[in-house]
Amino acid sequence: MPRASASPRRAPTSQLVPPMMTRVASAAPLLPQPLIERLLAVAMERGGDFAEVYVERTLTTAVRLEESRIKSAQVGLVQGVGVRVISAGKVGYAFSDDWEEPALLRAASTAAMIAQGGGAEKSFPVRRAAVPSHYHVATPLMDVDVALKTALLTRADKAARAFDARVKQVNAAYVDQTRRIAVANTHGRYTEDVQDLGRLSVTVVAQGKGGEQRTGMYGGGGRVPFSHWDTFPPEGVAREAARQAVATLGAVECVAGPQTVVLAPGWSGILLHEAVGHGLEADFIRKGTSLYAGKLGEKVASDLVTVIDDGTVSSGRGSINIDDEGNPGERKVLIENGILKGYLYDSLNAQLMGQRSTGSGRRESFKHLPLPRMTNTFLAPGDHAPEDILKEVKRGLYCATFGGGQVDITNGNFVFEVSEAYQIEDGKLGRPVKGATLIGVGPEALKNVSRVGCDPMPDPGMGVCGKNGQSMPVGVGLPTVRIDNVTVGGTKVA
Amino acid sequence: MDYQQLAKKIVQRAKKKGAQQAEAFLEVGRQSSVRVHQGQIEDLTQSTSKGVGVRVLVKDRLGFAYTSDFEPAALDHIIDQAVKLAGAAAPNKLNGLPSGKELGRYADTGLLFDTKVAELPGDWKLKAALEAEKAGKAEDPRIIAFNAVGAGDFVSEVYVASTEGLSGAYSGTYVYVYAMPVASDGQGLQTGYWLDYKRFLDDLEAPESVGREAARRAVRMLGAKRVKTQQVPVIFDPLVAASFVSDLASAADGNAVYQKASVLAPLKGKRLAGEHVTLVDDGLLPRGLATAPFDGEGVPTRRTPILDKGVMSGFLYDAFTARKAKARTTGNASRSYNALPSIGTTNLYLEPGTKSPQELLKDVDSGLYVTALLGHGADRVTGELSAGANGIWIEKGELTYPVQEVTVAGNLLRMLKDLDGIGSDLQFRGGSVGAPTVRFRQLTVSGE
Repeated sequence: MPRASASPRRAPTSQLVPPMMTRVASAAPLLPQPLIERLLAVAMERGGDFAEVYVERTLTTAVRLEESRIKSAQVGLVQGVGVRVISAGKVGYAFSDDWEEPALLRAASTAAMIAQGGGAEKSFPVRRAAVPSHYHVATPLMDVDVALKTALLTRADKAARAFDARVKQVNAAYVDQTRRIAVANTHGRYTEDVQDLGRLSVTVVAQGKGGEQRTGMYGGGGRVPFSHWDTFPPEGVAREAARQAVATLGAVECVAGPQTVVLAPGWSGILLHEAVGHGLEADFIRKGTSLYAGKLGEKVASDLVTVIDDGTVSSGRGSINIDDEGNPGERKVLIENGILKGYLYDSLNAQLMGQRSTGSGRRESFKHLPLPRMTNTFLAPGDHAPEDILKEVKRGLYCATFGGGQVDITNGNFVFEVSEAYQIEDGKLGRPVKGATLIGVGPEALKNVSRVGCDPMPDPGMGVCGKNGQSMPVGVGLPTVRIDNVTVGGTKVA
Repeated sequence: MDYQQLAKKIVQRAKKKGAQQAEAFLEVGRQSSVRVHQGQIEDLTQSTSKGVGVRVLVKDRLGFAYTSDFEPAALDHIIDQAVKLAGAAAPNKLNGLPSGKELGRYADTGLLFDTKVAELPGDWKLKAALEAEKAGKAEDPRIIAFNAVGAGDFVSEVYVASTEGLSGAYSGTYVYVYAMPVASDGQGLQTGYWLDYKRFLDDLEAPESVGREAARRAVRMLGAKRVKTQQVPVIFDPLVAASFVSDLASAADGNAVYQKASVLAPLKGKRLAGEHVTLVDDGLLPRGLATAPFDGEGVPTRRTPILDKGVMSGFLYDAFTARKAKARTTGNASRSYNALPSIGTTNLYLEPGTKSPQELLKDVDSGLYVTALLGHGADRVTGELSAGANGIWIEKGELTYPVQEVTVAGNLLRMLKDLDGIGSDLQFRGGSVGAPTVRFRQLTVSGE
């Protein structure tokens, strides 16, 4: 089942679409163009309708801190080529991590087997197309000295421990990737992109009276240059993780049953990701297995709800110049004032459904087939002042930070784990509560959205979304929101 | 290519380049899988893959690098990188590869490799997936579609070598079939999920049977509704019980215990559950999916009881954490070539009891039978569990109507105490974690 998980963080940026720039990357191609064309020709030799060559080279650096020491530093290279052939709606896929020509030709022939025909070999010339530029990382993260990366962790550790004497454990990790991809297909389109991605995360365990322990987790990043950490310093990340852990010490049991909930802005956008986002992905729609199938133009949420999936957010964690089928990332309005406007399409599902791709075909690596996926998914801001939203609630639950969520696409049930929550009494925050989980059915929960704040807030850049075993970086965002009559899971019965 | 030889060469090369200790962990695999849709192939994937990870120690500092490129220049490059990166890590006297003594001798694992799987013709997978789809559809007219239905196989080889005398290899096979049908009653949609995943073809559940069971699980959820908020006995079916078992093992992770970031940390030797509760991690379980002669750093695998007749008896360790915690490695270093070893489980299971699932149901006057959980499971630091649940309401010992949009909540320690019934139906359903049906005296169900 689709599942998203990560930890939260708050970002100072707002959701601005940058001026569109186009560029053709100047680095040497990943594979020589004649070889790519040759692979396309071999892939089509049994009469497929469409073929595509996907080339990837990803360098990953990871450093970890544990018990105030840099435990390990590592780098890795994964590279390979995937060849996809489509014939009468059927897909053949083969990949190879061996870049030698015979191995690549073998992969192309294997993928070609999905087609049953034969005939003369045709040629499929490709032309390099310009792609937009939504992220600007002048020095690839893989080229940044690893000592600068370990220094982030040491600073985070120090800041977390200095925050409060009750902080007992600090684990921190910094991971970055420089991922180069090239996608060429028999429509003649050839695109390349370089996708840098960095992420810092800090986990803190605090200990209170009687040995009670609480965890705090925070982090962030995106498709950002390393200088991001000057304006988003590791100390801030560490203090926020420590604050969460300490703030939740002494939490009381959560009362089970329906309540009015107020969601803090930012990472709470995971609610949208689960409650509607996955259900709008075209594979589930085409097969009729999502509860949102066949509902275009229908009212699926409160008037206050406008949902946007935007792959073009500047430096966003989920942003893409091109998707993993070579189509440009796009901004899509999925729900407008409560009315369902559109779905998320990859090229195969789009073609089978007579639609156009929305630039949503993404894959974890060359080892995977593309799937329709989200990029950065936001709830558009509304008119309500965030402080008024809280003030109006007599009794309820304020959800400040969040663990993760999961959805069953078919019946629409989603959960949303709240790692820091407070009772609301007469419009004010009361005691912290523990073990709260929200559960609902997508459309019903969105119909119960009764206030949307004017405080647009993308998450800090921590989201990892899982679907069919493929992990994908995503962004989410939500202003302060009130939802009525939400089932809250807890241990205490009123 | 002689991969064992290659692993040894990498180790020697690393030593030459300044590593005091070096280890190579190399994986090679080939896989194929097929998915079907309405009696036709939806997609067919075939591939080979490989990779090697190099772990080095330079002056008590740990460096690691990996690559999927086996060209000599690429291998040389990552060896250099690993040695260089060690300079960025902090020195720690406890760092070090498993010693000759820790490596020891490998026990007999029994067979890990099935030639029937290795030589499985491509059309077997297609036929299996089509049979599962057809049987699922035939089971009930309310099955309208499948989220996915497919089958596949995987053949893998692992080679290890180190400066400490490690040299080992094994190969294994895996085969699976799965179905996720969708049922509709015109009002709403429900899905079910059933699968089987084995090392040996003869152990695999028949594809028709997988399709039918998945269909039954989807159809029986039609018309699901919320129930009132209440504290009642709760039964987990084996699929859901496996996630409870995983949560317990996660809290028994030796590193979490050392960092006192586990609810189990202070409880070694304490009674946590009744005599009927035994939880075991067994890397040598015959025909087990995770059975192997050695773990991710070459240490022999073994059987480690985590809970022995209800008493907290053992935590899971890799070599580094064991040294840190003054314990012994239990051969639980989990690994793939692109990551450093970390503590994980092998074949993990709750030993079965004597009662049938029906007998466990019979004693429940009013309660919830849980068939799926939504969420990430328990928090190992606090032991708190609060998850979404789908299931069937139990009334007077019988399954009655389906339930959705509720949560179940409790605490691992309390749940262990309240574990008052274990079924005889232990199964490893789709993974290396096995559980029978289990019953808890009381959990909080949150609904209306």
